[in-house]
Amino acid sequence: MNISLRSAVWFLIGITILTTPLVTGSYVIGVMCFVAVFGAIAVSMGVLLEQAGLFSLAHPTWFGLGAYVSAILAVRGIAPPWLGSIIGAIFVACSSFIIGAPLLRLRGYYLACATFGLLLVVEIGLSQMGSLTGGHEGLMGIPPLSIAGFTFETDLHYYYLAWALCLGCLWFLHNMMRSRIGRAIKAFSDSEPAASSMGINVARYRLKVFVLTAVMASLAGSLYTFYLRFTQPGIFGFPLLVELTTMLIIGGGRTLYGPLLGAFVVLWMRELLHLYLGMILPRMTAEVDSIFFGILIIVILIFMPGGLAGWVDRIFGLRRKAIERVGG
Amino acid sequence: MSASVADGPLLEVEGLSKHFGGIKAVQEVTFGMEKGSIVSMIGPNGAGKSTFINVVSGLYEPNAGNVRLLGEDIGGIPAHAVAAKGLGRTFQLEELFESLSVLENVMVGGHTRSRSGVFTCGFSRPSARREEKRLRDEAMTCLEEVDLTQRACSPISKLPLGERKLVGVARALAMKPKLLMLDEPAGGLAAHEVDQLIRLVYRLKSRGLTIFIVEHNMPFVMSLSERVVVLDEGKKIAEGTPDEVRNNKEVIKAYLGEEI
Repeated sequence: MNISLRSAVWFLIGITILTTPLVTGSYVIGVMCFVAVFGAIAVSMGVLLEQAGLFSLAHPTWFGLGAYVSAILAVRGIAPPWLGSIIGAIFVACSSFIIGAPLLRLRGYYLACATFGLLLVVEIGLSQMGSLTGGHEGLMGIPPLSIAGFTFETDLHYYYLAWALCLGCLWFLHNMMRSRIGRAIKAFSDSEPAASSMGINVARYRLKVFVLTAVMASLAGSLYTFYLRFTQPGIFGFPLLVELTTMLIIGGGRTLYGPLLGAFVVLWMRELLHLYLGMILPRMTAEVDSIFFGILIIVILIFMPGGLAGWVDRIFGLRRKAIERVGG
Repeated sequence: MSASVADGPLLEVEGLSKHFGGIKAVQEVTFGMEKGSIVSMIGPNGAGKSTFINVVSGLYEPNAGNVRLLGEDIGGIPAHAVAAKGLGRTFQLEELFESLSVLENVMVGGHTRSRSGVFTCGFSRPSARREEKRLRDEAMTCLEEVDLTQRACSPISKLPLGERKLVGVARALAMKPKLLMLDEPAGGLAAHEVDQLIRLVYRLKSRGLTIFIVEHNMPFVMSLSERVVVLDEGKKIAEGTPDEVRNNKEVIKAYLGEEI
């Protein structure tokens, strides 16, 4: 893709996001809000898993911890939501640093097992510490987010805030992955001996990506909880992990925007599925839902191993090759 | 090129040993390298040459012995710290970064000479953009050195073996190393590619670079090296000029077996 085409595409996406609320109703705005929040976590998880090659399954945990810390601080009146979100992010940064330092010495499946353990432990911990977290029933009475006197109340407010966060993360990671930091990350995931022989402190860079992506998930978690005004341990457990993985596979994690595309497709497909399936099979919706996405993942893995984003890139790649042939 | 230590050898290896369990891959190897020289290490398969280069470059921790680069101790410190001290190397199996383009691979070589952090890069601050441009220009210069500028944007998977080897060299050159270690640079190359490589190594030497080569290809080693170190079963069995080594009884025995 040449530069002018790429900026044109981004310009169109920006305009679409800005104007969508003007032409659609609250239903679309609500779903798109979720797309932005899950897009932000999926994009950061994509960088961690697919670009840095760190098979961490604890990403929902950072999302949940960010949500809980800011929610608890807000409910108890210790810190306003905006400050609580920042404290939550700092808390997640510290805990992912402390946990990551020993855990990231593990490779491949071992890292996946250890982080999966973390995911389960935190979920159980949140539901057992009833006096602090509200236990299984969750935490209620969470106030809305307000910054400098402006209170975010409607779906529309959160829509713009969530998309600002999502595109902000995407922009940051886009810049980072094109810089020396991004090259170092891709380098150690391709060949660790070569990367360290080039002067890259691999252990430190692994920890950097781990903490950075955890903080992004934490911010998304805080936003999510102030949008829903409610939080529950079950939201941040295994089902969310499956959901994010589905987004990564369908969207394609090798590109930055793939997971966001995945979030868009998965959430809208589910909405449409429930809309039409609810009419035909009102009592089977949840089951058919899992079967549908299970089959979709298999189909994508067979026919589009790079996900939707990989497929889109291939089309543009072919175009570029055609130009090169004419030019050369 | 730093001239902080004008005299004294550039690289000193003293009694270096590396064991893997009961296998003594490298045993008490000692030798030195003068600044601006080309020294090669030869030896039969399994003699411990690659292990030796991996120990010196910090990928393996030595069991005993010392390594000094320009008088500074580098024995047993991690590879990324050794690289920062000025040791650049290539790999026998290239170990290129497959998800990066040719130019980006070479730009990774500039890692130790750049400073921008996660946030400077993520927010695309002007200082990060300036540094990026500098790294790009320097990497292009290194690609010019190995005559691969026309390949700058191609993905690594599209390159033939000879060019992969050259990308490895360019990547190490981008580190602006004080010592360049080449691990089997001529392995698997066609004759004309070997000639090209010889010319490249001479060109680098004429710029004052010190080069250490581990190699199987005898014509390559004998035409380039000022001194040759011979390793057999982890031990240094001979050292000298190419002619001395060629006529050394121990060396002939190691390569051809004993006379009957």
